[in-house]
Amino acid sequence: MTLLRAEGLVKSFGKTHALDGAGITIRAGEVVAVMGPSGSGKSTLLHCLAGILPPDSGTVHYRDRELTSMNDGDRSELRRTEFGFVFQFGQLVPELTCLENVALPLRLSGMKRKDAERAANEWLARLEVDGVADQRPGETSGGQGQRVAVARALVTGPKVIFADEPTGALDSLNGERVMHLLTTAARETGAAVVLVTHEPRVAAYSDREVVVRDGRSRDVEFAR
Amino acid sequence: MVCIVPLMSIGHALLGLLEGGPRHGYDLKRAYDERFGQDRPLHYGQVYSTLSRLLKNGLVTEAGVEAGDGPERKRYAITDAGVTDVERWLSTPEKPEPYLQNTLYAKVVLALLSGRSAVEVLDTQRSAHLGTMRELTRRKADGDLADQLICDFALFHLEADLRWLELTAARVDQLAVEVKR
Amino acid sequence: MNRTISDLALGVRLAVGGSRKSWVRLALQGLGIGMCVAVLVLAASIPGAFAARDAKGNLSEPQPQGTGPAPLLVENAYVAYRSDYIQGRYLKVLKADAPRPPGVEKLPGDGEIVLSPALAELLASPKGELLRPRFPQRVVGTIGQAGLTGPKDYTFYAGDDRIGESGGTKAYGFGVHYGGGGIAPILWLLSVVGIVVLLFPVLVFVGVAARLAAAQRDRRLAALRLVGAGASRVRLIASGEALVGALVGLAVGFGIFYAIRPFVDKISIAQLAIFPSDLTPSLGLVLLVVVAVPVLAVFTSLFAMRRTIIEPLGVVRQQKPVRRRLWWRLVPAIVGAALLGSQMGKINDTDRPEQWPVVIGVVLLMLGIPVLLPWLVERVVFRIRGGSPALQLAVRRLQLDSGTAARVVGGVAVVLAGTVTLQMILAGVEQEVVSKEKRQANLAVLTVSTDENVAVPGLREALEKAATVRSVQEISRTGASAGEANYVGIVIGPCDALKTQATITNCADGKAYYAPDSGGGRAVEPGAELTLGDPRKGVRWKAPAQWEPATARNGGLYLTPAAAAGIPVDNTSREFMAELDLSVPDAAEHARNAIAAYPWQTFTSFAGQNDIPEMERVFGLVRQGLYAGTAITLLLAGASMLLMALEQVRERRRPLAVLAASGVPRGTLARSLLWQNGVPLVLSTAVSVATGIGLGALSMKVSDAEIAFDWPGIALVTAASAALVLAVTALTLPSLRRATGALGLRTE
Ligand SMILES: Nc1ncnc2c1ncn2[C@@H]1O[C@H](COP(=O)(O)OP(=O)(O)OP(=O)(O)O)[C@@H](O)[C@H]1O
Ligand SMILES: [Mg+2]
Repeated sequence: MTLLRAEGLVKSFGKTHALDGAGITIRAGEVVAVMGPSGSGKSTLLHCLAGILPPDSGTVHYRDRELTSMNDGDRSELRRTEFGFVFQFGQLVPELTCLENVALPLRLSGMKRKDAERAANEWLARLEVDGVADQRPGETSGGQGQRVAVARALVTGPKVIFADEPTGALDSLNGERVMHLLTTAARETGAAVVLVTHEPRVAAYSDREVVVRDGRSRDVEFAR
Repeated sequence: MVCIVPLMSIGHALLGLLEGGPRHGYDLKRAYDERFGQDRPLHYGQVYSTLSRLLKNGLVTEAGVEAGDGPERKRYAITDAGVTDVERWLSTPEKPEPYLQNTLYAKVVLALLSGRSAVEVLDTQRSAHLGTMRELTRRKADGDLADQLICDFALFHLEADLRWLELTAARVDQLAVEVKR
Repeated sequence: MNRTISDLALGVRLAVGGSRKSWVRLALQGLGIGMCVAVLVLAASIPGAFAARDAKGNLSEPQPQGTGPAPLLVENAYVAYRSDYIQGRYLKVLKADAPRPPGVEKLPGDGEIVLSPALAELLASPKGELLRPRFPQRVVGTIGQAGLTGPKDYTFYAGDDRIGESGGTKAYGFGVHYGGGGIAPILWLLSVVGIVVLLFPVLVFVGVAARLAAAQRDRRLAALRLVGAGASRVRLIASGEALVGALVGLAVGFGIFYAIRPFVDKISIAQLAIFPSDLTPSLGLVLLVVVAVPVLAVFTSLFAMRRTIIEPLGVVRQQKPVRRRLWWRLVPAIVGAALLGSQMGKINDTDRPEQWPVVIGVVLLMLGIPVLLPWLVERVVFRIRGGSPALQLAVRRLQLDSGTAARVVGGVAVVLAGTVTLQMILAGVEQEVVSKEKRQANLAVLTVSTDENVAVPGLREALEKAATVRSVQEISRTGASAGEANYVGIVIGPCDALKTQATITNCADGKAYYAPDSGGGRAVEPGAELTLGDPRKGVRWKAPAQWEPATARNGGLYLTPAAAAGIPVDNTSREFMAELDLSVPDAAEHARNAIAAYPWQTFTSFAGQNDIPEMERVFGLVRQGLYAGTAITLLLAGASMLLMALEQVRERRRPLAVLAASGVPRGTLARSLLWQNGVPLVLSTAVSVATGIGLGALSMKVSDAEIAFDWPGIALVTAASAALVLAVTALTLPSLRRATGALGLRTE
């Protein structure tokens, strides 16, 4: 089932054409790697897909809703309830403890503090970082922080997880561990993953890849 | 295991070179050596046996004999079947395994020489590589530590290839200029 | 030495940087410190300005000592006009080259007058219509600035050849030196206290402004430290950075000061208006400001950086700060409270409480607020559990660093507490003054008194002829003492006249009445031996053997003429009481105009003059001044808070952007900012209002006045600080909006 479909995305920043007719299709539950050289527009594509950045033209459909015609509040809510995000670094609120960071999205959708923190704790345990629950992000290692971020992305049970270079700041072993945990958890919960990366071994955790070059995407459908 | 360009691939290489126009056998050897045979030039015998096999399979035809001294000065030209064969070869990824660079490089150069998309060749190969890597990654997840280490060995090598593919893709325009000079 | 200078220079270069961002930061820093410097310089000029007033006043006093015949005769005169007093001098020039008072170019001859500009203006305006008959002289000049204590002075010099020569009128020149004059030590101390309390927040804000964009700078310096710069070198570099901001601030501050100085003569309370040129900061205080501000800026930035220097990685990794200790923070407040408490019991006794402990207690309590607030904020913030995610974000932020917020807010708290205290004192004083004024408002008597021993022929007749005067009574006043410090006032007059002064019954000539002193003075026994006038050389007089009780506003003996036999006339001063027809507006002024021919011989007072509008105007202005001061400090605090908030948003751009990307509504983030600014300010407002009310009540009790609450004022102050939080938050929103856009996700 097609979950997310983008067509003819164009996005320019001044004279830079970051996206120049890119498109992509994400099916429910699959892990798609977005690859391509630096500056080819991968992150921009991800931002447009997730409704963070409005494209200059083109459409993004999530299920039967058209993202580009939704207002900011609705898109925010969609992101909060249906999507999860993992970035390379600096995504955790430095003042909150790791547990509170993970509980935050649940609390924002109105869950009681106790319940939210219980769920958060479960996710931390699943990602093997329940040891740092009461520490602040600044007091954790990069790998632990990234796992906390993954827990935060997964805790709301999203349908799509957007990950932009989630292992960019980690060594191979930690990076693979994070990828393993992320993809396993996503498969278990049936979430699709859009994974921007330029590391082949990270991309190998995907089901298929999309190559972005000069703002145009190529959906390389590989027979499984 | 040292991997030399398999015979089959020499045939494809010669076919690819012939796509530019009919050539003598000697010409072909020189062109091949220049581009692909840096440390391992072809023997005349290899050239002629390959050509005769291609002739037998109908992938090349004789396009007349030039008068003159020296060895046989037959000119060979590629047939339609030969072009199709090159097409198929280029768009079929190599079985991802270590030390593919010679073949891959040959493919890229020939694609460029023949005006085909070298990037596509590389993307196709990348897909194949990634497919294998996925397979290994899956095996790794299910296997024990020994499996994991063995798979990782292969993965790192494949990753090196993939990085080379990406690097080449990024510099393909530059290569095209040099190849066509 | 060279190294030192080059390190300082590196700091300067880092501060100026050249990028637009660093210029903006420098400008903000300059403005923040500049506003503080302007306030400091203003404070530094006020003592000088008031000293200049006093000095000028002394220079205009006639000098009664000299040899030979006096060149001038001078009579001081106090002309009452509605709620104002016009203090001037009548002169008789005896010698052509007689000395001139300062500011007067030519001495007025008989029938001539020179006026101060303010008086000239009043006389020319419709408001001065009823005053004009009292100054019929030809105006021959204006008194220059040298002869005036302030731009709103009402004064004049009029020539009058009727002045007779006597010991009191001879003048040999102008300008006397009153040694040891000026304000009483306790008042001086109180002003110092006021200035300290007001300036404390200013110093706090200098520190805050110097710490602007500190996080960014800390990272930069931590990087320097990590690449191997020694601790002392990093300190020098940081000092260089702080110094630039402080110097720019000094320049801006003096600029602001000289820009507002020309407007000080527009102050509409006459006693406070000063000539701009008199408002010159004293050199010593200027030097103090010029040195103290950079030192403070450098010191605060170094102090705040101590962790960066010891532990540069700590800047990269935010760790939980150490907890604040309570005990030493309690010391000033406890000592202050104890000092005040020690005086509490004495309030009901007749003797007054000691002033020093009270004043020091007040200062300590005031300073206790900013010392205690950081601890209190930290405590409260650690207590807060639960609440919305917005509150949680704010609280966690405050837990990491509540110090800066608490410091800013502590500065505000002192001002608020001071304002509330002053408001209460003001309200109490106002209530008392106005209610006394109300009690007097129905009195319809204009009192005209003359000096002792001076007969003013024709005065009574002139007064009786006035159209608004119904009748005139005459009394004589004197006083007598029975031994040490037991003084009794004596009023002598016919029954009708006495009745205007006291409530007496069955009056007949020969009777005597005694009204006890409402102040609780010791009673005099009938038939006592008293001394009239000066106790040392006065005339002995035996009080009447019996008297009847009476009540009066002023206690004392009320005697009919027959009962006063034995009191020599030349020991009494005469007083005429003219009953006015109050149906005529300004009846008192018409009556005064009727006796305009006796300007210096008489002193008139009209208790029924309704001074309430004027008092309310003055109180209103004082209150406005108070509010203006509070508003300026609040604005300073607001500016500091805004800068802090902006910086925090910038610093946390990435997490904020990620939160927004993950669908956290901007409203939640905005509300967290609101909480973050609001929690400390609400705490400090509560503390300061409570302290202010407590202190106000206490000082009113100490001065035995009625306690009055200025609730509207308190509400206003509270509302102002709430508005401040809202404004700061609102101004932070655009930058929050920018940070949470997709651009915030991009790495730098
Ligand atoms: N906010 C922006 N302002 C200006 N240019 C931008 C902006 N965002 C992206 N670009 C430009 O658009 C192009 C694509 O950027 P994008 O971040 O999508 O690349 P990317 O594929 O994610 O690269 P990388 O692998 O290095 O992260 C780049 O040339 C970049 O400079
Ligand atoms: Mg990117």
